[in-house]
Amino acid sequence: MPSTLKTDIEELTATPGVVVVRFQGSLESETISDIEKVFSRVQMGSSVFAVADMSSVNLISSAALGELMGARKRLIELGGDLVLAGVILEIRTKLNLMGASKIFKMFNDVRSAINAYKWETEKKSEQVELTFPSNLKMVPAVRQLISRIARQKGYGNRDSFRIETIVDEICNNAIEHGLNDSNLNIGIKVDIDPDKIEIDVTNISDPEKMFLLKTHLKPEEHQDIHNDEKRGRGLMLIKMLTDELTFNISEQGTVVHVKKVREE
Amino acid sequence: MESQIELIYEEIRGRENAKLIHFIGDLDATNVETVLEKVINLFNDGIVKLVVDFKQLRYVNSTGLGILLHFSKSAKEKGGCFKIANINENVYEIIEIIGAASLLEIYDDLDEAVAAIE
Repeated sequence: MPSTLKTDIEELTATPGVVVVRFQGSLESETISDIEKVFSRVQMGSSVFAVADMSSVNLISSAALGELMGARKRLIELGGDLVLAGVILEIRTKLNLMGASKIFKMFNDVRSAINAYKWETEKKSEQVELTFPSNLKMVPAVRQLISRIARQKGYGNRDSFRIETIVDEICNNAIEHGLNDSNLNIGIKVDIDPDKIEIDVTNISDPEKMFLLKTHLKPEEHQDIHNDEKRGRGLMLIKMLTDELTFNISEQGTVVHVKKVREE
Repeated sequence: MESQIELIYEEIRGRENAKLIHFIGDLDATNVETVLEKVINLFNDGIVKLVVDFKQLRYVNSTGLGILLHFSKSAKEKGGCFKIANINENVYEIIEIIGAASLLEIYDDLDEAVAAIE
């Protein structure tokens, strides 16, 4: 039985600049001309950000993948992109092995792909706020959550790792410089957009420990890594990994604000 | 919850008072005490030449880095060594930023680290 491939293009009136290209069937040598045709229609239109809906695709051969890569290259040259959505697990695994996941952005479904496009183009920020008990054991879950949000928002592996480190060090600081009371909470507010992430961490400070923190904030105190004061090292790390670091110390508590610009 | 970290020990053939330790997981403020205790126990048993494999160490923070520096210093004081191999690039960046890369004995791979044991 010959391979069949149905294609369909939908221009989204609600999201100008985006088209959804739906594939149904097998993407292989015999159907390459269909792939070629559908993308030449896409490139003729004014919409250049294409989401390939792969949820009804049961096969992608290496030749067809090459055709998709060519289409993506042409769209990028026109200032757009081609992303894949809804790829079934079996094919996704094969694409990973073929290295395609490093080339194509992949999304669970068309909606997620469109949301990611809107987020990138409209440059709107999103906020996350949470509070957690002032206990060091809570920090790993918090830092990994914020790092995952960054990754989900398109930040690269390196940026996400740095964000995880920044959150970890600030939260550990907030707990260790805060009043020794696990009934108290640490507050964290994250403001993320496609270009940068800003994080505010708030605690109820212990006045005696604040003296120590202020000492660390003096630049000359950061240079000696042999210094056994572990928080000194943590602060140095935060300083090196962020583009902006400010402290607002008051009777009520301390707010540490950092800004990190997206690099990849 | 504490971060998960597992230490798997291996003998190093032909080397006395030595062990290879594979670090698997995250090393941070929640589990440094556990790791500290395990390594100090080795030192107390006379195992002072350590090669640590960081291939599966996903994450380290400043507290974790603090005990690595401590292990390195202690091992040297006891006539041994603390050699690190297979560090992932994210972890290496943290070590470098802190300025600890020159204080730790870091090798590209395990064979190189083991061969450097005196």
